[in-house]
Amino acid sequence: MNETILEIDDLTVSFDGFKALNHLKFKMNKGELRVIIGPNGAGKTTFLDVITGKVQPTEGNVFFKGKNLRKISEHQIARMGIGRKFQTPRVYLNLTVKENLDLVANKTKNVFSTLFNKSTEQDKRTVASLLETIGLTAKAELQAALLSHGEKQRLEIGMLVAQSPDLLLVDEPVAGLTDEETENVGNLLLALAESHSIIVIEHDMEFVRQIAKQVTVLHQGTVLCEGTMNEVQNDPRVIEVYLGQETSLERDEIVIVRIAATMAWADFNLTPEEQDIIITNLSKQFADSSEDELLLKEELINFLGENIPLSDLVPLLTTEEEKLKVLQLSNQIINSHGINQLENQVYQELLELLNLPTEIVNSLIN
Amino acid sequence: MVNNTLAQIRQNKKQQFFIEIGVIIAILILFVIILPLIVSPFRLQLLGRFLALAIVGLGIDLIWGYTGLLSLGHGIFFALGGYAFMMHVKLQIPSGELPEFFNLYGVTELPFFWQPFHSFPFTFIAIFIIPAIVAGLLGYLVFRNRIKGVYFSILTQAALIVFYNFFNGQQKLINGTNGLKVDKETLFGFLISAPSTQVVFYQFTIIFLLLSYLLCRWLTSGRFGKLLIAIRDDENRVRFSGYDPTWFKVLVFAVSGAIAGISGALYTVQTAIITPSIMEVAFSIEMVIWVAVGGRATLLGAIIGTLLVRLGQSFLSEQFPDIWLFFQGALFLIVVTILPNGIVGWWHNWAWIKLKSIFGLNPPLITYPSLEKNPEESP
Repeated sequence: MNETILEIDDLTVSFDGFKALNHLKFKMNKGELRVIIGPNGAGKTTFLDVITGKVQPTEGNVFFKGKNLRKISEHQIARMGIGRKFQTPRVYLNLTVKENLDLVANKTKNVFSTLFNKSTEQDKRTVASLLETIGLTAKAELQAALLSHGEKQRLEIGMLVAQSPDLLLVDEPVAGLTDEETENVGNLLLALAESHSIIVIEHDMEFVRQIAKQVTVLHQGTVLCEGTMNEVQNDPRVIEVYLGQETSLERDEIVIVRIAATMAWADFNLTPEEQDIIITNLSKQFADSSEDELLLKEELINFLGENIPLSDLVPLLTTEEEKLKVLQLSNQIINSHGINQLENQVYQELLELLNLPTEIVNSLIN
Repeated sequence: MVNNTLAQIRQNKKQQFFIEIGVIIAILILFVIILPLIVSPFRLQLLGRFLALAIVGLGIDLIWGYTGLLSLGHGIFFALGGYAFMMHVKLQIPSGELPEFFNLYGVTELPFFWQPFHSFPFTFIAIFIIPAIVAGLLGYLVFRNRIKGVYFSILTQAALIVFYNFFNGQQKLINGTNGLKVDKETLFGFLISAPSTQVVFYQFTIIFLLLSYLLCRWLTSGRFGKLLIAIRDDENRVRFSGYDPTWFKVLVFAVSGAIAGISGALYTVQTAIITPSIMEVAFSIEMVIWVAVGGRATLLGAIIGTLLVRLGQSFLSEQFPDIWLFFQGALFLIVVTILPNGIVGWWHNWAWIKLKSIFGLNPPLITYPSLEKNPEESP
């Protein structure tokens, strides 16, 4: 059932000695929607370049449906069923929306059949239904140059699908889009994921959260870690890479800080008292020495900015002890000033998720 | 309702088609039958030459206007067509004799590659096949290595200079710098230099111009034409969509070369001489200017541009023999700065709309016409 569609084996790409990709290993199953994140220069775009044949690997191999892609040219790889969307929308500006789609929907792409054959009825139907999917039916006869940025993004995704590929590679599809357009693109990708395997490269974390099930983090040309969005977001190495500073926190410690932050944000306001409680409490708990404590205080502040749903965080707690710690801390936070309704709501949710025996909860409260 | 409008669109297209055919036939009658009756033979011959040049303009438009490859080496293909035809003409002598100029260099035997040009059918095919093969080979080498943009232009110009020097140096093969000239040769029993024969060449030129135009029209409409524009817009996207642009470009370059060959043959027979100077850099650049003046990627523009520039040249050089080159320079500057889309582009984008609004046919539009109409409303 779980057929591998793409496998990358010990891949290295070096440009004049600079290793853009460094012994990268990657595997993806058919039907999966995978998001790849990573800081600038992590090798994300090179990763796509190698898969699509634009760049030849220095070492290692890429297997698509079991076939080695080495020495196969771009257009042949495209015909094998890999479609790519570029970072900036790249459509044919001097052609109409419909012509853009029709060119890609063409089934036989050699010179003479393109010259002598007309679009088949099936091609026309494909184009018409695609126009509907990407919401550009009304603008089908308009030159692509006249479309807005978001419309061009959707058109390019449409062109990708017209190619009827098995694997879609999408490079930063929501860069420069409004919130509404971002959501549209997200839904479009989710709809496509039902029938295609998709790799998305993205920076926008909100968007990643919307669509991602599995996330791969690239850093300096290698896979840093892989997992669900929450696992990845609380991995110390990922935080280190993204914040650009080393963190001495353990994974479960990060989860605890995050829950505390969310509790503090429950009324959409992080008061100085709340911040103070979290930081003094946790730095004391996590620190090994008083010197350490001071450093930790500064570090912990970095984690307070985000308000992540509890349902994502709580399941990551592993031991009873941690859960108790969280509950205790949460109590202190919401009691720092009078409890309001919003905070109460979130607190109830926390209790439910923690699922601790009632007597323990009661003993803590009193 | 939707079906209704679809039928309407089809009806409109049909109507447009018939109008176009009507216009073409009218122009054909004017040029082929009426002009020879009212214009002096000298002027008619001039016009015939310009029309022959318009054919190579079409070739340039195909490769530059549509596909975005600026070729500065079309002089090669033009000359190859011209030489092919002229070699056949020079062989119109009693069998066993050699064309005169060979005696100057002590050549006693006809070079081997002259032999097949005894046959008219071979010559006729060679006029477009040889340039097509040369263009195809050159194109394949260049496009396979993904050379494009300025580098392509430089390479074609370098090739042009190579051919120019080669032809200049080969006295014993093709009379070098002196080229090949029509003296008293006949073709199918007609004296080539006779005015009555020249009228026939003029008429043939128009027919071949029409055929070349129709060929280019066919190539640039439909999927193939759209793909050429796509290559011009974003070649990498084309590649990632599963097309191999190399072969499309090779084919277009070869067709463009073949058209240039036809043009060269028709031009040569009307000027009665071909020399390697036809492969000078300036002439190949001038071809590009014709297309720029007329309007890129419009086909009709290539023809109009060639005729206008050339007619202007001959008019100005007669009126102001000393300073006419300044006028020509000014014309090119005006076109580049004021009419970047050429005359036909200007007509489409501006003048036609303006004219219509003067006669109240269309309300004047402030922005893009297609944006002004709300696409959500129109079916």
